[in-house]
Amino acid sequence: MAEFQLGGALSGAELRERVRARMAEFGGALRVLAENLLGADAAIDWVAVDAQGQVALVLLGLPGQELELIATGIAQRAWVGARLKDWLQLAPNLGLRPEAKIRLLLLGAAFDGTARQAASALGDAVELWTYRCLRDGGAGVDIFLERIPPGAHRSSLRSQAPPAASTFRSDLSDAKLGLSPGERAEFEGG
Amino acid sequence: MPRSLGEVLHFFLPEAEGQSPAPRFPARSPAHTIVGVPIGDSDVVRAAFVWNLAVELSRAGACATVLAPAGEDTSSLWPDPGRGPMGSELVLTFAEGLADLARAALDLAHTRAAESPAGPGLVLVRLPPAWLSKAADASALLARVLLFSSPAARDLLETYALVKRVVSCAPISTIGITIHGVRSIGEARRAFSRLAAASERHLFRSLVSYGLIVDDLHVYRSILNRHAVGLAHPQAAASRSIGEVAQLLLGDLGETSRG
Repeated sequence: MAEFQLGGALSGAELRERVRARMAEFGGALRVLAENLLGADAAIDWVAVDAQGQVALVLLGLPGQELELIATGIAQRAWVGARLKDWLQLAPNLGLRPEAKIRLLLLGAAFDGTARQAASALGDAVELWTYRCLRDGGAGVDIFLERIPPGAHRSSLRSQAPPAASTFRSDLSDAKLGLSPGERAEFEGG
Repeated sequence: MPRSLGEVLHFFLPEAEGQSPAPRFPARSPAHTIVGVPIGDSDVVRAAFVWNLAVELSRAGACATVLAPAGEDTSSLWPDPGRGPMGSELVLTFAEGLADLARAALDLAHTRAAESPAGPGLVLVRLPPAWLSKAADASALLARVLLFSSPAARDLLETYALVKRVVSCAPISTIGITIHGVRSIGEARRAFSRLAAASERHLFRSLVSYGLIVDDLHVYRSILNRHAVGLAHPQAAASRSIGEVAQLLLGDLGETSRG
């Protein structure tokens, strides 16, 4: 079995190809309707529909431009939202539900705390996904997609810009727990 | 001769893969969320956590059901089946593997959702770890998994092994971790960080923190007395921490359903 390691790099075209191949990992049984569709003054990487009839927009961001990606995503979502009924009229067999929310899937190398809070403020239809390149020891480089858990950019505690997606969560404090020294001593020494 | 614009749209949009007919929307209401919790044979501590968590979830306004396979260890792990405190419920099912258990969990998740469609709902399912080796038909049980680990090195290692097994069976599952048996927040944070770092380094998977359960005598008394610790001792540290685990779970489920 190949030994995978984090690292490696992909060109933009290769990255797009890998993401396209892993579209199923975004969940909801996405079916791609359009690729590189010209939207609000820029291209939407993928327009898809999920099993529930929700339109999903997938946008791939460049490293370091995650906030711009979020802004672009808002604009593209509004652009698509204004045209959904027209699309349904044009193609009633696509399975679109114009009254459903539009999922916005934003894919970047990393999202810092500011980006996560910005996405959180936009509502729940915004999904942040990260990709990481994996090198399989030979020449191959693949990607690994991972969704930033919705809770990771929600509460005040969770918005402390964790360096990784795995962030310990608790709003409790030792004082709040109210353990007395006597109670603690019950467990000391084994 | 094309009769509608829809019939010519494929000239402008790429062909959809498979060209399957448009999916029909589910007629039933969305099922309650299923959370799989690996609990070993005779593991009364984790079983008590799950049962107490169900009570706290119910107290927070959710419909919480615990589903467990009936077996020889049933009476030692669980209180009597049926309705429990605050409307929580324990259901036992005869299952010979995860596929049976998954079917029972899905049925229960749909049934309880139909009975209480308004509020949030969870079905916490006990997963015997030995069954995870044959988890091919159990994706419904592994989409969300909650693991309890103490900060002890050996326990963290065993929990990591479980994470690895779950990831191998269900690569896109959401794996939550609750650290139990701690005496401080810092101890829980350090334990979670060790586990999360190992998971990210070797499995390329992040873990979702679901707080902690403090080491509290009330938990063990609860196990012996079969009383929900949150009801018998609502101000106890264990009650507060289990309550927070419930709130974290509900918060994430709310976000998922709204999304």
